[in-house]
Amino acid sequence: MDIELIKFMFMLTTISLYFNVAISLYGVVSKTNLVKKLIALTIFQDTVNMFTILIGYKLWRPGLLLQPPVLTDLSPTSETLREFVERSVDPLPQAFVLTAVVIGLAVTLFLTTIILHVSYHFKTVNVDEIGRSKRVYIHEEAV
Amino acid sequence: MLRDLVFASLLVIIILALTYLTYSGGLGDLPPRDVRVIASNYLNLTYNQGITWLWAASPEAVTAIVWDYRGLDTLFETVVFYGAILAALTLFRSVSKVPEFVSSAGLSLVVKRVTAIVTLAILAVAASTALHGHLTPGGGFQGGAIASVAPLLLLVVFGKQFFIERRISYSKLLTIRNASLALLGFTSVALLILGFLTGFQAYIFQNQAKTVSTLSYPPYLLDVPLGGSLFFFNLFEFLAVASGFTLVFTILLSRDETLRKELEGEELGY
Repeated sequence: MDIELIKFMFMLTTISLYFNVAISLYGVVSKTNLVKKLIALTIFQDTVNMFTILIGYKLWRPGLLLQPPVLTDLSPTSETLREFVERSVDPLPQAFVLTAVVIGLAVTLFLTTIILHVSYHFKTVNVDEIGRSKRVYIHEEAV
Repeated sequence: MLRDLVFASLLVIIILALTYLTYSGGLGDLPPRDVRVIASNYLNLTYNQGITWLWAASPEAVTAIVWDYRGLDTLFETVVFYGAILAALTLFRSVSKVPEFVSSAGLSLVVKRVTAIVTLAILAVAASTALHGHLTPGGGFQGGAIASVAPLLLLVVFGKQFFIERRISYSKLLTIRNASLALLGFTSVALLILGFLTGFQAYIFQNQAKTVSTLSYPPYLLDVPLGGSLFFFNLFEFLAVASGFTLVFTILLSRDETLRKELEGEELGY
């Protein structure tokens, strides 16, 4: 495959991720429904994770070994180790993302329970309506 | 409406600026031609039998970074995970005290049989992902996340009755979760305690022997690499993640009346 084409596709992917971030941020800020806000937030989270993984990627070029980046030899010589390093991508972003995904899921579950709580209490998940009902209540109290 | 328009145009401007910067080489050569020096160092050292004072005794570099080279980071991330689940449980704390009497028949027989088979497969994949995490791609976090799908499926297909009959209670799951998180903390200071008792020097989060401290977790079990503490971290994290998620799923799939009990006496608003 042409290297220039790979580079172009890579650039396209990066820019489309920017668009994804923008659209999800727009959703978080401008949607009034809390569930929609949560969905936009998870999209934002996944986009950032994807971006982090993409940073650790390495350009394939002719002459690189096409082998899975797994150390199969359990008593490796320096030659096998050198080959292993040569065909592996960056493991650091992957390590960050794998913990971020699980913690993101935990935080999403927490937000889900909060939204459930809010929906039982106010009988709506629309933040504008919630704000209005609270204002009415404060007004009544003041009177 | 005007607020939305301003915000949208602001986002478009930011995208265009970022695109211009990326296109003119702001992120360097895209995609990078080679991995960074720090990455090749990790890859080189993780299972280098010639440099055993810097290795992690695990051929899987990602797990070695997660639980050895940057282990303290992961411990604090686990604290965030602990806090998020704890907060979710606290919001519906009365659910644990209300005994549920449900007579749910679940879904149809066909779905039940298929789910039974699939659940076994899910648990097998989860266990192999978690327990082989120091040898092949995978680990405790991923294994736990996979395993928590199984109880979710069972809750939906068989109903909550299935759990109640098998005495898989809220408090038991909470005990498993807390015990595995405590053991996770203990694994990180075990060598320090041992060093304190025997008079040797050791560090928090020490896995393999270093030049100044000779204490070490076993690098091999028989002739298979064990990864020292990595295996134990993966095992305990697996249990913690799986039981924590199962707890929140049981709460979210409780009956409506049970969940509404939480809000009794709160009619006057926040």
